[in-house]
Amino acid sequence: MAEGLDEHAKSSWLSGLDARAKLIGILAFVVATSLLTETRLVLASLALSVTFAALSRVPPGHLAKAYMGALPFILIASVSVFLFAGYERGLDMWARTSSCVLALLVLASGTETFELFAGLRRLRMPAIITTLLMLTYKYILMMSEELSRMTVARKARGFAGGRSLLDSRGIKVISYTAGMVFVRSAERADRAFDALTARGFDKEMRGWRRSKIAAPELSFVAWFVTVSAILMLLQLGVSP
Amino acid sequence: MHIPDGLMDPVIALTGWIEFLVVVAVALFLVRTRVKDKDLPRIAVLSAGVFVAQMLNFPIGGGTTGHLVGGALIAIMVGPVVAILGMTVILLIQGLMFGDGGMTAFGLNAVNMAVIAPLTGWGVYTLIKPIVSRKDEKPFGPGTAIAVAAGAWASVFLAAAACAAELAVSYAISGGTYGIAATVSVPAMLGYHAVIAVGEAIITAGVLAYVWSASPSVFTREHVATTKAEGLRGILHLKTTQATIAVLIAFALALPLYFIYSADGADGLEKTMTDAEVEEGGAVFSSPFSYGESYFAALFAGILGFLVTALAALGLLRILQGVKVAD
Amino acid sequence: MRALEIDNLAYSYEDGTVALKGLSLAVEEGEKVAVIGPNGAGKSTLLHLIAGFRMPFTGEVRVHGRMLDQQSAGAVRRDVGLLFQDPDDQLFMPTVEEDVAFGPVNLRLDDVEGRVAKAMRSAGVDAIAERRPHRLSHGMKKRVAIAGILAMDPKVLLLDEPTSGLDPRSRAELISLLKGMKKTMLMATHDLDAVAEVVDRVLVLNISPVAEGRLGELAGRGSVLEDAGLEPPQLTRVFKALEDKGFKVDHLPTTMDQAVAHLIRLLERQRRGE
Repeated sequence: MAEGLDEHAKSSWLSGLDARAKLIGILAFVVATSLLTETRLVLASLALSVTFAALSRVPPGHLAKAYMGALPFILIASVSVFLFAGYERGLDMWARTSSCVLALLVLASGTETFELFAGLRRLRMPAIITTLLMLTYKYILMMSEELSRMTVARKARGFAGGRSLLDSRGIKVISYTAGMVFVRSAERADRAFDALTARGFDKEMRGWRRSKIAAPELSFVAWFVTVSAILMLLQLGVSP
Repeated sequence: MHIPDGLMDPVIALTGWIEFLVVVAVALFLVRTRVKDKDLPRIAVLSAGVFVAQMLNFPIGGGTTGHLVGGALIAIMVGPVVAILGMTVILLIQGLMFGDGGMTAFGLNAVNMAVIAPLTGWGVYTLIKPIVSRKDEKPFGPGTAIAVAAGAWASVFLAAAACAAELAVSYAISGGTYGIAATVSVPAMLGYHAVIAVGEAIITAGVLAYVWSASPSVFTREHVATTKAEGLRGILHLKTTQATIAVLIAFALALPLYFIYSADGADGLEKTMTDAEVEEGGAVFSSPFSYGESYFAALFAGILGFLVTALAALGLLRILQGVKVAD
Repeated sequence: MRALEIDNLAYSYEDGTVALKGLSLAVEEGEKVAVIGPNGAGKSTLLHLIAGFRMPFTGEVRVHGRMLDQQSAGAVRRDVGLLFQDPDDQLFMPTVEEDVAFGPVNLRLDDVEGRVAKAMRSAGVDAIAERRPHRLSHGMKKRVAIAGILAMDPKVLLLDEPTSGLDPRSRAELISLLKGMKKTMLMATHDLDAVAEVVDRVLVLNISPVAEGRLGELAGRGSVLEDAGLEPPQLTRVFKALEDKGFKVDHLPTTMDQAVAHLIRLLERQRRGE
């Protein structure tokens, strides 16, 4: 699941860009979009988002799946706005939220995880947080594996419970499995961290190779910041 | 409970960001000396574990499912400050890498799940544990289990309540452009999460029961108390005090919302009422909501206020009695 | 200047258990030394300690003349390449090539691409440069991990159970790879057959040093190896059994080549009539 992200990154030209540029550009777009209330502007933003997704060459199936994951909350919000304030407002809500989600998903899919975190660090996010991000990401992969192994081992011993909250013994076994995964992962985690340190990993993530700000990066940021500014100015022009 | 971008009123989202940045700055300052590099893997393991656990759904009846938040779990295991950082990391990964939770809304999501949940979970647990586990012999007896369960339940419920408040206030001050009306958000969030919180309570208790009986020292280090600090510092060092402060902070984070609501809310309501009549295609519900909103807002503010006051009073009482909290 | 110099080293775990005691060892440049012993003997701990991951300890450790302590740990780590027992602990990046490059990039070495290419070739993983490490077989993973360390051009290689978990073919390939490398090596293992092929000298460790010398010689020294919970290579045991039965055996062979040569000598003697 999480490795899948890095797989898709390779297919997009986005992965060649410095992560800082991508973060700044797309975040500017997201901030601007969340301030839009005028329907035409919101729809314009959505159109831009979709175009960006299409141009990025990130596999659309992957994006669709990820979007489905975010859909429940978007729907709840849109439907309740629709119920209270009418069709147009409901549509605005859906379009605005979807545009932001899509842009962020393209950012994530088009960037390798380590690059993303290194970019955050260079944008001055505290080192302890970026180090925790890196380690957590690695351990998520490790622990999902560990969890599947233990689940299989459990099933092999005939365990089929935990289907409902009321199955108290089942819940107990599941919680204990979870607890075991934590404990067993703890020591592996220490070794994995040592292995990273042994290869020179430092919290500053210095020297990470793709640290350039050149024409592609500047044009990316310029394009997104300009678009965002235009959208916001138009929005301000519409509502006092 | 992961709020996407574009849902909350920008003022509320900004408030959330400011509150979050302040809290996280304080947290980073506090851990500077306490957390060493070699502690980072274990903290990351906890975050990773909660992340993985959040992906697993458990059924809560009626065909719906819920999932773990995990704030209380981390906070009870390694303390609220580290938990704030750990939960923040989880939310960052979910938001940046999976689009689960927006970036402008990140401040609010973090306040709810990375600040309120751990603080409340740990605070409630710490405050009631000495009372209920007095007769426990084992490290994790039924009394401790109750304290853990109560903390975990409260953590999810209060986080959901904060989320509902944010949605309601967003709706009110923006005249319906953003947010979800209180008549929907409050019952929906509170009702749904009151049930999910039960799952959280059970799972948190189960995991802690295992970890604390099997290998209690895996995630905690023995804190060797040097000299007992005197006076004000001594009081501040007491777990009880810290827990009380934690609960109060969780509540205080909601205060700005209230001020914003009372400042802008009334205008927003009027605007919405007039809009509703002018709206093309018409709103499905129109008139009762002005009363409904203030009723719900008052009701749930009242409940929250009562709970928090009760907890704070409990804490205060114990401090005054000079109760030494056993570790 | 010696590649590695250890003087009266002692180390205990946080809970007080003694892990290493009274250990002294000198390894010359280009020498390959194995540390053998039963489980729990402290072999892994020793390697991790030399790499700067276990402190504080008493005694002295010097890598290429540099004394190991809290401040110099980072610098020492650049000079030693520690191969972890479980390659999954070590592998990290999405592709083999990027993982091999991880070390050089972090250490900001020059000519990263050249180093990476050379290391991948040496370890025999250049053909799978684009593959995802965690889908590889155990043997291949170990090779990628080795490549990752070679790319950092360490002065001393520390190998923690390098042959564990490998199927016979991968094991043979790895052994010949290690044999061909001209690097100073310290290997912790209980695979004595591999030790026989690769290594010049052996230290028997069981928290404290038990014995030191060439493997063949140690095998003949009473039950030194057996007492340490180890079994000499099968070939050696065959000849030892022959010796016990009264046949004259000059030096106990430890490798196939030595054993065959020895057998030929014995058979020739027999042919000539004892």
